[in-house]
Amino acid sequence: MAAIGFPKISFWRTVVAVIFAAGIYSMYARFALGFQASTNLTDPQPWGLWVGLGTLCGVGLSAGGFAIAAAVYLLGLERYRPILRTAVLISFLGYCTVCVGMLYELGLPWRIWHPIVMWNRHSVLFEVSWCVMLYTTVLALEFSPALLEKLPWVRVRELYLRWHHSILIALVLAGTLLSSMHQSFLGGLFLITKGRLYPLWYTPYLTTMFYLSAIPAGLAVTIMAIYLCVRSLNARVDMSILRDVSRVIAPLLAIYGVFRVVDLINRDALQYLWMWREETLLFWVEIALLVVVPLVLLNMEKVRNNPMYLYWTCAVIVAGFMTNRLNVSITALQASSAVYYVPKWTEFAASFATIAAAAVAFRYAVIYLDILPKNPPQQRWMVSSPAAEA
Amino acid sequence: MEGNTRAILVDITKCIGCRSCEQACKQIHGFPMDSEKKLSPTALTIVEEHGDRFVRRMCMHCQDPACASACLVGALKKTDAGPVTYDAAKCIGCRYCLVACPFSVPRYEWTKLVPYVKKCDMCAARQAKGQPPACVEACPVQASISGNREEILEEALRRILASDSKYVKHIYGSEEAGGTSVFFISDVPFEKLGFVAAPKQPMPVLTATALGDGPTVILVGGSLLAGLYWITQRRALVALAEAQEKSLKERN
Repeated sequence: MAAIGFPKISFWRTVVAVIFAAGIYSMYARFALGFQASTNLTDPQPWGLWVGLGTLCGVGLSAGGFAIAAAVYLLGLERYRPILRTAVLISFLGYCTVCVGMLYELGLPWRIWHPIVMWNRHSVLFEVSWCVMLYTTVLALEFSPALLEKLPWVRVRELYLRWHHSILIALVLAGTLLSSMHQSFLGGLFLITKGRLYPLWYTPYLTTMFYLSAIPAGLAVTIMAIYLCVRSLNARVDMSILRDVSRVIAPLLAIYGVFRVVDLINRDALQYLWMWREETLLFWVEIALLVVVPLVLLNMEKVRNNPMYLYWTCAVIVAGFMTNRLNVSITALQASSAVYYVPKWTEFAASFATIAAAAVAFRYAVIYLDILPKNPPQQRWMVSSPAAEA
Repeated sequence: MEGNTRAILVDITKCIGCRSCEQACKQIHGFPMDSEKKLSPTALTIVEEHGDRFVRRMCMHCQDPACASACLVGALKKTDAGPVTYDAAKCIGCRYCLVACPFSVPRYEWTKLVPYVKKCDMCAARQAKGQPPACVEACPVQASISGNREEILEEALRRILASDSKYVKHIYGSEEAGGTSVFFISDVPFEKLGFVAAPKQPMPVLTATALGDGPTVILVGGSLLAGLYWITQRRALVALAEAQEKSLKERN
């Protein structure tokens, strides 16, 4: 490694620094000044961006880990093993952001442990909190070899890795079940808002909808992250794996789209599709970004075979997914609460800072740990790597 | 148990809008005495004006409360005596009760650094000592009365069905959210007085089905995944054995 000096000022470093600076102020505003100074939350809109983006999107977009782990270990699809560690790392960091976000979101964060000893099994949130706690532990264990294999003490290392190997399948199985349950229960949180959640989104099948949309979105995030690793971190990945993942995403999105349509027809909610309202517009944005546009794009061979096109297609899916979660948690409640909620800038800053921290952690993990195989160091002029063109 | 459940009846035709109930509530909780337009952490009951009618707003004390089912640590509870109470020592401040309440009743102390949920508890402590809720006691015209839930419902029905009755033929709270412990009767349709058309079933039913699926998911999903893993393993073993056999044959 070169001598440690002042880091070069690059565009992305500046962006991250600005986000962190704003994030530090938000942290001060939230914990030293309180909710009123740091959020635009009110009694009619008690959950805002921190739940919608931090929790619902955070958990949903971290679904790639369990999907790839289940594919490799339970279904024996060895094809996806090269991207397994990346997927698990993204999920782990994603859940870390959710847990940190919880500290912002809870009014009394120092009591975050209460659900461990105070139980109410009639509460969907209770189930969600337990699943998130357990699954974060599972992810930490699943990911742990990447860190511990770097230990210099051979005996300890070998002992740990052997123990890890013996519990791995149990971990993956538990992780798959826990994920499946709380991905759907996050939708289940809103079942109790019957009569107040806008009819375009309220359905008894909110649980199914959340589950079905989380897996393709989680896989899309995995594709995006791997593409970025190849482009800027010198990682070497067979890009045809990403193409194959995208081949799985397309039918999953199609199934989700069909479910949405059938559900709207079943509930006699088609009339709401053409009303001149903000909800209608945001619903169409969501459907376009999450289902229609990606399906059209993924149907083109040119897109599937080109990592950069694939990256942007996945970005569209992620944007659509986020629109969906924010619609359910914010847009859909606006009409009944009669409050127009726009998050305060500190809410954005706190969320973005947490996400940026996870991104930075991801970057250094890929650089210093064996997450993805790397190309030998190259001269700057050679950086367009052969892998990227493959 | 059912026989001792307490309830409140508010007769909107009798309310004169004097706000004695508001004042009594603020006094007993030690809140600042200024009248407020909406429910707040320092106004657990308020009197709204709708035309020439006055409507009290307060916690409805549902029989099967959404808030109590939503609260992940069980801070909110429906007591046998009728009131839905809040245990501040358990609360973690997730505010799911605010999201869940079909009547949008619970308030949050947004301005405080250590914020709690605030809502009417029907003066549970007073009622345990045999006293009526402070608001009921303060009402100079008996627009609010309290008593045994069964008797209160009978009284409401008697007033509605009286021969010279001007009342709307509905007791608000008798079936809203599966039934509450605070009832309203009125001579003006409820929707014109700002009452919400809450679902008729107990709200926790909505989530119970999803939660009930949990054990099934674990059992069925677990066996399915374990089965898939077994097949995967088996196929690998068979492939290995076949390969060995083949190489053995070739050697012979």
